[in-house]
Amino acid sequence: MTSPSASPSETVSSETSGESGALASAEGKVPVTVLTGFLGAGKTTLLNHILTAEHGRKYAVVVNEFGELGIDNDLVVDADEEVFEMNNGCICCTVRGDLIRVMGRLLRKKDRFDGIIVETTGLADPAPVAQTFFVDETVRDKARLDAVVTVVDAVNGLETLKQQPEAINQIAFADVIILNKCDLASEAQQQAMFRAIRQLNSVAPVHKAVRGDVRLTDVLDRGGFDLNRALANMPAFLEEGEGAHHHAHEPPHDHEHDHDCQAHGCTQDHDHAHDHISDSGISSHSFTLTEPLDEKRFQAWIGLLLQEKGADILRAKGILHFRGEPRRFVFQAVHMMAEGGFLPPAKGGGKGGDETSRLVFIGRHLNGAELQRGFERCVAA
Amino acid sequence: MPAPSMPSMPDTPSAPPSLLQHRGAERRYDSPIVATAASRDGQSLCALTADGEAVLVNCEKLRQSEEWQVVELHEGGICLATDSQPGSFLSGGEDGRVMRLQADGRSEELHKGRGWVDCVASTPGNIAFSVKKDVHLCNAAGDETLKVLPHPSALSGLAFDAKGRRLAASHYNGVSLWFVKSRDAKPRLLEWKGSHIGLIIHPRDEAVVTSMQENELHGWRLPDGHNMRMSGYPRQVRSMSFTPRGRWLATSGADSAILWPFFGGGPMGKPPAEFARLPGLFVTCVAAHPREEILAIGYEDGTLVLAETAGLPDDDTPRLLPLCQGARSGGVARGAISTLAFSAGGEMLMFGTEEGYVGVLDLSAGAQAAPASSPSGSAPV
Repeated sequence: MTSPSASPSETVSSETSGESGALASAEGKVPVTVLTGFLGAGKTTLLNHILTAEHGRKYAVVVNEFGELGIDNDLVVDADEEVFEMNNGCICCTVRGDLIRVMGRLLRKKDRFDGIIVETTGLADPAPVAQTFFVDETVRDKARLDAVVTVVDAVNGLETLKQQPEAINQIAFADVIILNKCDLASEAQQQAMFRAIRQLNSVAPVHKAVRGDVRLTDVLDRGGFDLNRALANMPAFLEEGEGAHHHAHEPPHDHEHDHDCQAHGCTQDHDHAHDHISDSGISSHSFTLTEPLDEKRFQAWIGLLLQEKGADILRAKGILHFRGEPRRFVFQAVHMMAEGGFLPPAKGGGKGGDETSRLVFIGRHLNGAELQRGFERCVAA
Repeated sequence: MPAPSMPSMPDTPSAPPSLLQHRGAERRYDSPIVATAASRDGQSLCALTADGEAVLVNCEKLRQSEEWQVVELHEGGICLATDSQPGSFLSGGEDGRVMRLQADGRSEELHKGRGWVDCVASTPGNIAFSVKKDVHLCNAAGDETLKVLPHPSALSGLAFDAKGRRLAASHYNGVSLWFVKSRDAKPRLLEWKGSHIGLIIHPRDEAVVTSMQENELHGWRLPDGHNMRMSGYPRQVRSMSFTPRGRWLATSGADSAILWPFFGGGPMGKPPAEFARLPGLFVTCVAAHPREEILAIGYEDGTLVLAETAGLPDDDTPRLLPLCQGARSGGVARGAISTLAFSAGGEMLMFGTEEGYVGVLDLSAGAQAAPASSPSGSAPV
């Protein structure tokens, strides 16, 4: 360790928070599902659906106002959404202090429940919630962010996106999107909402729902942020890019289960841009390379990129193949905070497309062409 | 509530009996131990579990763990402190209650609200506790709320100064210092940007020190408000204790106890003493003896030692007295030492661990050693 030293307070050191952490182990970590969505989208309905379903599990629920909810759960904790800046001088590095305190205490008694669900207020920015899982030692050691689930109103969603920038962030940040109130929205409304979602977030699966009646497997145990579990999700992660090319511009059609409309759209659908969303400057870019990458080049590039553009990068995720490395590298970032690690080798050699590297950025004022060039320069010589 | 489990197994038979076995006792409970405290009259010690049970130990029956009294105090225990009254304790819980617990096990409710009671503190003349952003200042009997002191964000630490005239409360961006008797309800604000997670006051009122989210300490010299910053910790500092006359501030957060000199102009510009290093083992808890230059140091594997601070800083190899061995040196896997408290006179030491162990040792010179449980019968030191 470096020896502690006292110094006059005028000198504030500036440690970067963008170091890559060790590969987190899923074992013994409590999964945390973060539920976001704009006011009236149906978060609480979905929450009650989750809590009352027959899954044989117990969840601790963290809400902001437990007075009004009437949630039927014996472990509901009131929180404040107290956001604070980390002291590294970086404006995007915010975390939620109340969550650190509440989860720190809940996690001491982790035998009592199987997971934690955090319901944010409709106006909340999900970034401080997600960053809490990178920043705080206790939270990082004992819990894992399973997924950010965003509930979107299929009827009023587009209007909300025009008026409320927070709603844009919530969609951009999502690991799973629930398009709710589909019984009240026309097919055209649903399609328009879907295109808007895809422009902001090209990777999150979108599930249609009526009164929050989603399948639990669509929202729980997603392993969205969990590197070890990413292997299980990787086929879907890759499929989406490839699938999009196959399915792009085909008319919507039914799949084996009708809640899944992720394949209906086009993941790189920049042509369908709607002006009111473009105004926010938020877009989603995904890139695929089939050539193996040079690990050092990638680390240097991504490190610099997050340092320079971190404030504008809401989320970044990748599954990468480095030359001479049989294991896949999984990478994720929220703003400037990043972590990455190697996955164990796929059993039985895995399926096709193992050599493929895929990287997704969701953020503000991103230059897609420049990102693509930067990523391509990481290809091993 | 389930009954406490059976007394723990002694240290493995191959290891020589520890001082804990010779001069103390330990017992395991069902949930982590969150706090320990000593009564003002020196007669009892108390531990609080995360489930909200209090373990009361009469110092005269310290070795008869079957005589330790377990009292159900809260639905979820959070904080525990010495009470204003000579023989009792104060506790706060997730159930929004502040309780007074007498040495004989009787308890009474002093406050009932909705928010978690995060901090509790007392002097012979006042008690104080915090709920979310408010500090409630009460008379010594606890039956009259003198003031409710509002703060800009939730409270993380609460402490009276040595004379009981001022009350310090830590929160985001600093510490509020209130005069207990002042009619003017405005605090002196000690500002420092960032999240302050714990608080301690120098025993001669020379300084206020907070631990921060960012693995460092921040301090203010009280006479002139000068800032001081103590950094270089590899982990968050969860435990702080001033030696009796305030010469040293001992802390956790490294693989040795860190002691900052608060004399001769220190701690500014002076390196801290680092001692009792057990390679690869982090210190999780420290407690200074109330009268002697002795420090109790707890480690992450459940090891507990006493160290002499009298010779510092010239003698950097202080005398160490192991009290019990942790999991990594063949001892009991009792989990990290999470809390430590000396009895008021310093004759007894109580510890609690993250795995629910409570242990008590008699350190007084006249203490009778237990009948030897192994043929050699010799203490390791």
